[in-house]
Amino acid sequence: MSVSPIGRETARVDGPLKVTGRAPYAADYHPDGLVYGHLILATVGRGTVREMDVSLAEAAPGVLAVYTPFRSIRIINDFAGRGAENYTVLQDTTVRFRGQIIGLVVADTLERARDAAALVTAEYTSTTPRTSLADSGPGTSPGAEQVLAPGVGSIDEALASAPVTITTTVSQHAQHHVAMEPHATTAVWQDDQLTLYCGSQGPQRHASAIAASLGVEPAKVRVIARYTGGGFGSRVPAWNEAKLCAAAARALGRPLKVVLTREQLFTTVGHRSAVRQTVRLGAESDGRLIALSHESDAEMPAVAGWPLMPAEGTSAVLYRTPNIRIDQRLVTLDTPSTWAMRGPGEAPGAFAVETAFDELATRTGIDPVELRLRNYAVREPLGGRRFSSKYLDQCYRVGAMRFGWDRRPRRPRSRTDGDWLIGMGMATAIYQGGRGSSSARVQFRDDGRVTVASGTSDIGTGAWTMLAVAGADALGLPVAAMVPELGDSALPPGGSAAVGSGATASTVPAVQAACRSAVTALIRAAVENPRSPFHGLDPADVRYRQGRVSSGRRSMGFRDLLRAMGVPDVQAVENTEGIDRDGPYAFQSFGAHFCEVRVHRLTGDIRVSRFTSVFDVGTVINARTARSQLIGGIIWGIGGALLESDPIEPDGRYAAANMADYLVPVNADVPAIDVHWLDHPDPQVSEVGARGLGELGNVGSAAAVGNAVFNATGIRVRDLPITLDKLL
Amino acid sequence: MREFQFARPGSVAEAVREADPGTAFLAGGTTLVDLMKLEVMTPGRVLDINRLPLRAIEATGEGLEIGSLVRMRDVATHTLVRRDYPVVAQALEASASGQLRTMASIGGNLLQRTRCGYFRDVSVPCNKRRPGSGCPAVGGENRMHAVLGTSDSCVATHPSDLAVALVALDATVRLRSRTGERTISLRDLYLLPGDTPHREHDLQPGELITAVVLPRLPWASHSIYVKVRDRQSYEFALASAAVAVRRERDTIVEARVAVGGMGTRPWRLAAVEAALAGRPATEASYEAASARALDGVRPLRHNAFKPELMRRTLVRALLELERTR
Repeated sequence: MSVSPIGRETARVDGPLKVTGRAPYAADYHPDGLVYGHLILATVGRGTVREMDVSLAEAAPGVLAVYTPFRSIRIINDFAGRGAENYTVLQDTTVRFRGQIIGLVVADTLERARDAAALVTAEYTSTTPRTSLADSGPGTSPGAEQVLAPGVGSIDEALASAPVTITTTVSQHAQHHVAMEPHATTAVWQDDQLTLYCGSQGPQRHASAIAASLGVEPAKVRVIARYTGGGFGSRVPAWNEAKLCAAAARALGRPLKVVLTREQLFTTVGHRSAVRQTVRLGAESDGRLIALSHESDAEMPAVAGWPLMPAEGTSAVLYRTPNIRIDQRLVTLDTPSTWAMRGPGEAPGAFAVETAFDELATRTGIDPVELRLRNYAVREPLGGRRFSSKYLDQCYRVGAMRFGWDRRPRRPRSRTDGDWLIGMGMATAIYQGGRGSSSARVQFRDDGRVTVASGTSDIGTGAWTMLAVAGADALGLPVAAMVPELGDSALPPGGSAAVGSGATASTVPAVQAACRSAVTALIRAAVENPRSPFHGLDPADVRYRQGRVSSGRRSMGFRDLLRAMGVPDVQAVENTEGIDRDGPYAFQSFGAHFCEVRVHRLTGDIRVSRFTSVFDVGTVINARTARSQLIGGIIWGIGGALLESDPIEPDGRYAAANMADYLVPVNADVPAIDVHWLDHPDPQVSEVGARGLGELGNVGSAAAVGNAVFNATGIRVRDLPITLDKLL
Repeated sequence: MREFQFARPGSVAEAVREADPGTAFLAGGTTLVDLMKLEVMTPGRVLDINRLPLRAIEATGEGLEIGSLVRMRDVATHTLVRRDYPVVAQALEASASGQLRTMASIGGNLLQRTRCGYFRDVSVPCNKRRPGSGCPAVGGENRMHAVLGTSDSCVATHPSDLAVALVALDATVRLRSRTGERTISLRDLYLLPGDTPHREHDLQPGELITAVVLPRLPWASHSIYVKVRDRQSYEFALASAAVAVRRERDTIVEARVAVGGMGTRPWRLAAVEAALAGRPATEASYEAASARALDGVRPLRHNAFKPELMRRTLVRALLELERTR
């Protein structure tokens, strides 16, 4: 009897390759005849490139081509598809933001391309860009959404009637994904067929975007992204560097590689919008909500990008309230494109509403956990649907117990340890937990192993291992017998992209379906193949179990069966549908964060000293990678609370466009993190019962830190990041 | 990175003979190579000095002499440094990362360039990088910038932690050039930016630091380095303090105080030292004396918190030092 690996600790199947450097990332491919490209970026914030002098660059050793708006290469606008930006790179002389691509130099070595790029000069006519969200008024509203109790005329009326009201305005600058692997593309044409090596969260989507930009049939583009060094949203669209690389490789008839420098990444790849939010709460004196209003003004680049909507995934689905209104406005600015970044709207949104809830707890004198339980929602407050499965109340209670929440100082700034002020805070985590469509191919092989393939991507999340675990579970075989495949647009169409925390929840059901079909196909082959010992039997009398095919006393492993039949493999492909987004249930994953901080009484240094989080995510597929994801999200929240911030200057320059100035946490900033999850499979989401969890840890964790800082110091910092100068 | 000539001299004499104004000495390379990649520094010639015999740490009559090529880690872990000059070991351990400390030399550390983001970005003006082009930091994102020793031309902070500790100890540096040898106070090595922020130190073209001398100062064994920063490792100081105190019973007889993260060069605070001398070793004394640290500060738009943070950092350092007794 084999034990299912579902929910157990399975080491990453790709781990040994990665730690020994044998897993090839996009820039690790070196096809024969490879040449190298280096980008040139605009240094004004808005205007026109009047002229560019490329003569020195063209004369430099090894230079093969210099592309500029004046000597361009044809690229087609794919914005109507899933493109991020509404203009087309190098097709006109307009500068829309500082750091926009205005040139590509190609040479026979990376160094020569880079040196030549430095020799190109550009003359601009420039005007003043709009860059400051803080100086901008309210943005354009796509339409507020609200539910009001009978007889209530407006949200303001509802708030005005409340005995207790809280108004909290929070803000944050741009944040960047800065995945460890910089964006890189290696483009190889053979005749009219393109193979593109790049990091990608969805290789199949990526291939169609590139094909559209090049004006070729989607079948002519194959994207290979087997290993991707982090995505966090930044590898969902195909950015301009990939399109330019593919187009220039075709024009030159040479394989071409373009690797962005870390500094270039900050403007050529989307970032998380700067955003300002105001949450207003109206409550009874016992803390029960009467009204909740959540308004936001988020940066929306004139070149388009991801619209940051912080309320719809947080306030709109979090707490019971008879009156609720959300208004998520967008402010047009001349900034680089934005894109979804881990917990895209939810992470900032949760900081706003969970900070406001902490303020309400302080005002009413109600314990923050108790306050949340008093406002517990069993239906979406705005949409009205029931949750598919929700045990958030248990998360609060179990988390409080594990953390020792009962020892929280009730009064702010009332506990010290030597020169350190001690504080504790908590916040709720919530993130959509549905499942999308997917596909998988499962193949019994005559070497005794089973290929489990899906056109998804592993951006460090553990998808390789997820495929192996799901296949091993469905077929009753060891994980080691599985050969996972992903990250290739040539895999069966319909694979789930690694987006919206949905890859695992979406793909496991597809693997299960494909395993069932592969077993059926194996049995059919066994009864139909004249060389099979099961030939001629009724398929209903033949069983598959744990890798063996049997009927009566006859039994044979699939490897021997395939060899006996002279068939190298038997396979099946299955497509699965996602959940009905307009169906009766709201799918959300939940969690509760508890955080302890220490703040130095003199110098304000903030140290996160303890963190406990408990989650309700349905079934966990792989405990090890799930924990890793959740911890990673929490660390991201710590960074968001204390460090990550990129102010933009009046001329459009990002002040912290490198990893020395754009701070993310280092080990010394991160305590041991206690992550725990409940075991409640979601009966509505799928047979296996798994909802998503990849972004969940990142939602609410910054608020838990901020609330702990308030508890430690009595100082409420609403403008992120919470740096020590704000606590002096 | 621009093309450059590369040579590897075998002796100090050869190194200084070969060096001309366009030459950069390469030791650990942790600053130079970064800045060459960014094209902030474009030396025509790079002399790798790692073969020079400047790697000894020796106790002499004067004090402790540390060859300029000794790596930061090796100084930080040296028994005599840890015993006699804890402020130096602590300053080093609070610097950079483990990997960088293993690579970077003591001489290079003292000459590392500022972390000012405008200095390191060749797409914007910088008086230090391109004299006369302007200083965007004065009116720009200047939270990390200096409040002491600034000018209208430059407000860049001196980045070295080690230099702060050494200035507190009155350390000297041995220099060697074509014209001979000299020894100067480390304090005098660093120039204020004034109108010429591109001139950062009082070195002749091609002059090489061959050693750092920590003078004998028995009470330096009672010293501390406190660094306050946004993240807890691998980050430059918002404020730091190097403090040594000589006490007799509960009275401070003498003190050495220098601060980092505040000045355009490591900043010795003689007024604070004077205000501490003769006072009882209490928090009230520390509070009173540290107020003198604010003499002459010039805060900018985003770093108005720095003077107060400096004052508090000093109090904290004095208190923490007291607890080490």
